[in-house]
Amino acid sequence: MKDLKHLYFFEKLLEDAHNDLVRQAQAEGRRCAATVCENIPEPLLNLPGVFSVRLRAPRTGTTEMAGYYLTSFLCEYTKALLERAMEGGYNFADCMIAPDGCSMLNRCVENMELLKTMQKEVFFYEYMEIPMKADDNGLNLYVLQCRNHILKPLAERFGIDVSDAAIRSAVEEHNRVCRLIRQIGEYRKEENPRITGYEFHILTLATYTAPKDLLVNRLEETLEELKTRRPDAKKPWRARVVVAGSEADDVDFIRLIEECGAYVCADRFCYGSFPGRDEICLTNEEDALTQICRQYMYGGQCARYMNQAKIQERRSYVDRLAREYHADGIIYEQMKFCDPWAYERMVGTQVLREEYHYPVLSVDRPYAVGNSGQLRTRVQAFVESVELKKLQGGGR
Amino acid sequence: MGKKVGSEKLGSLYTTGRVRRRREWRGVRDTLYDYWRWLHIMGILTKFIVKPRNIKAFFRYRWMANYLAAPMMVDRHTQGLRGPQLRIAHTEFDLVMEDIAKLLDNLFRGDRKIGNDEEFSKKVVLMDENEMTAVMMGFPTLKGLSRETPAVYVSVLLNQYAACHYIDVAQEFGLPGDVCPMPEAEAGVSIDDDFPVLGACAIQCNTTCDGSLMGNGVISKRLELEDGVPCFQLAAPLRHRQEDVQEYAAQEIRNAIRFIEEHTGEKWDWDYYFECAKRVNESTRHRMEWLEMNKTDYPQVFGSNLALYTETNYMAICGKVPEFVEADRKISAIAEKAYKKKNMVVKEYRHRAIIWGVQSHFYFDFLIWLQNCWGILPLTDMLSMVSTKMISEDDREQAIYDMAWLTENMIMRNRTHGGYKVLLDELWEFCEEFRADTVILWEHISCKALDGMHGQFEEKAREKGIHLIWVDHDLFDPRVISRQGIRDQVNRYMRTVFREEPLDPTLEVLTDEHSW
Repeated sequence: MKDLKHLYFFEKLLEDAHNDLVRQAQAEGRRCAATVCENIPEPLLNLPGVFSVRLRAPRTGTTEMAGYYLTSFLCEYTKALLERAMEGGYNFADCMIAPDGCSMLNRCVENMELLKTMQKEVFFYEYMEIPMKADDNGLNLYVLQCRNHILKPLAERFGIDVSDAAIRSAVEEHNRVCRLIRQIGEYRKEENPRITGYEFHILTLATYTAPKDLLVNRLEETLEELKTRRPDAKKPWRARVVVAGSEADDVDFIRLIEECGAYVCADRFCYGSFPGRDEICLTNEEDALTQICRQYMYGGQCARYMNQAKIQERRSYVDRLAREYHADGIIYEQMKFCDPWAYERMVGTQVLREEYHYPVLSVDRPYAVGNSGQLRTRVQAFVESVELKKLQGGGR
Repeated sequence: MGKKVGSEKLGSLYTTGRVRRRREWRGVRDTLYDYWRWLHIMGILTKFIVKPRNIKAFFRYRWMANYLAAPMMVDRHTQGLRGPQLRIAHTEFDLVMEDIAKLLDNLFRGDRKIGNDEEFSKKVVLMDENEMTAVMMGFPTLKGLSRETPAVYVSVLLNQYAACHYIDVAQEFGLPGDVCPMPEAEAGVSIDDDFPVLGACAIQCNTTCDGSLMGNGVISKRLELEDGVPCFQLAAPLRHRQEDVQEYAAQEIRNAIRFIEEHTGEKWDWDYYFECAKRVNESTRHRMEWLEMNKTDYPQVFGSNLALYTETNYMAICGKVPEFVEADRKISAIAEKAYKKKNMVVKEYRHRAIIWGVQSHFYFDFLIWLQNCWGILPLTDMLSMVSTKMISEDDREQAIYDMAWLTENMIMRNRTHGGYKVLLDELWEFCEEFRADTVILWEHISCKALDGMHGQFEEKAREKGIHLIWVDHDLFDPRVISRQGIRDQVNRYMRTVFREEPLDPTLEVLTDEHSW
């Protein structure tokens, strides 16, 4: 296939957390709100005058310094973030809004604070309580926490307009990007798709790490380009898979899977498009903040939601994606040392195999996959097994 | 060998097998007292075992075999003790034993696989192992029972290898080996179908950590979806010191109470609640007295005598059992008398230590080893530093917030959650209050909330000139770091940094690898 016109631009963008679009937005006088988790409602960090960046640590090598503070047992994402923060890699940010989501991310941000890694004088940290159940009580908590730990500090410290009208306009902007990503992602349903999972991953990742309004034009052009893009006549894929699981912001991860012949047709992981790029539907019957929180809470697929209905929904959600995107199998992935996804991967794998009858590859992986031979071998073997099942008339 | 503390070389009692060479000789009076209490424990076991359903349970549940080691567990926690401390230890441990025996008896009575008493089962509300039982303080006719406590938690206290099988089961099922072995073992028991099945409903809670929270999902899958026992997940806020989470926490309590009422048909009884609340407050006052005493040169209720009893009394009992308040009074009386006499537990006090972090369950008697071997006084431990707030004894609205507060501040959780201040900063405050020169920092290697402050602990201890001794372990799994591996870490520090010789050199290296 011919390369996408803007792919190189997007790839370059992802090489550094402090990327060109972040610099451009800050040069325009906008504030940068950093965050580390999908449970922080994005539109609230993208009000007029502020934009969000979900922190990554691209090109991570070793994490010795972070390993000293966090030990080698903490999830590699948190170690990579702390290491980068200690190197001064996030000094562009103006504040950090962190959820007390999982213990490790919480400790990571607390260490950033204790080690005084952020140098701007105006810089502040906010820690949010995020509900662990989806119900009315949880919604009340979510709304209050967003008010106290996002809107109030943004208004007081940076003079940001946090009115209902401003939130609604941020949601509109957010939805515009979500629509584009979803429309581009629709092409993954094709039998011989005109966009690779890797390319889609790059586009999606960019929307989490750069000011959205500065990306829209290029995303629109990419969508236009895709309308007439022709896939290679001979499709290179031997199997179609849904990748589900924990945080994955490594550009090499999806590339490695696809190099093994598995087309990533749907992405349900933190930094993926499901459910992170779902549009937020607002009505005029209720304030925007409550509606945003409701959607994040009920739509969220985070493993830390502990009520059984939510737990079951996480599995049926993956099943729904697999059916909708015509997947042959599922890759359940988990960042090494991540506790919530360790359990979720274990049970999810069993349920999807035994109750939904999918072939499932269950793997843990490092933060920076690179050219991991182990992972490659696992994926290759999985692709072969899926192929064999299809040949034998088995599979799903 | 005699009635004086330190007169027995305790290491000489160890063999390479499961049990000790002989019972400790503590002088005529203390030996007779100790033997009489040993007989009492044997009596508890006999009374338990004579019931046919309990014998059946021994054959049905793999973990039940560990209870044969119950008398030995008490012996391990009374090593070297004399006079008042021996009496305090027996008052506590014997009562905890009785409580566990009652718990087991009740579980098997209602268990569909054993006693199958359906009427009784309808009055049972299942609780988590590591859960504050405050929401049961207003249900006098219901039994709040924990299945995890006897199957996993207590089992490991009795037999160091008790959880290994269930850890392996969970890992064979696909769980990585780096998660905390406690929820891992509990999930393993559930996967192995080795929990008693009973109850009108269950109240689970996001207790201490992500692992615990997620392990509950595995358990509730079987409990709710297969066994048909409805589960309520009580989601207590993590940042429990923040004002803006308290209303949410209170509402969770209201919802949990309503859930119990709906599934059991029972009504919340405020009179009973306030009766329990009074007992909670009295227990808190006693605990505070003991802690005050531990700040002086003559601590009396500390180390092993403080840790396990506080856990049981504060969290599992939570004012519901009058015998525990009676025990509190008795302990206070013994301690006060001993304090006036300037009673010492070992012959020499060398270091005053705060024990921080999550203790190793397979080596819970480590604290007593610290004092006997090296003269290190474990003045208090992280898990005993729980809420000292007095709860309302008459205000119904406030009571809801009190229950929420207690639930948020359950043992371990009040330090592993709530931000770094409660884990890191308050440790140094306690060091100052207790005039401690040493911190023994249990590093439970797979406890991510603790690991995440590793560097900060080290830097701050250096800054404050406090000796910080890391003690790595893997909570329920002695295969990762053995008991001797734990002792070696202290031995090394004592010899190389403090350049000291042990008080009792026979305890430095012990052959307890195969011991219960």
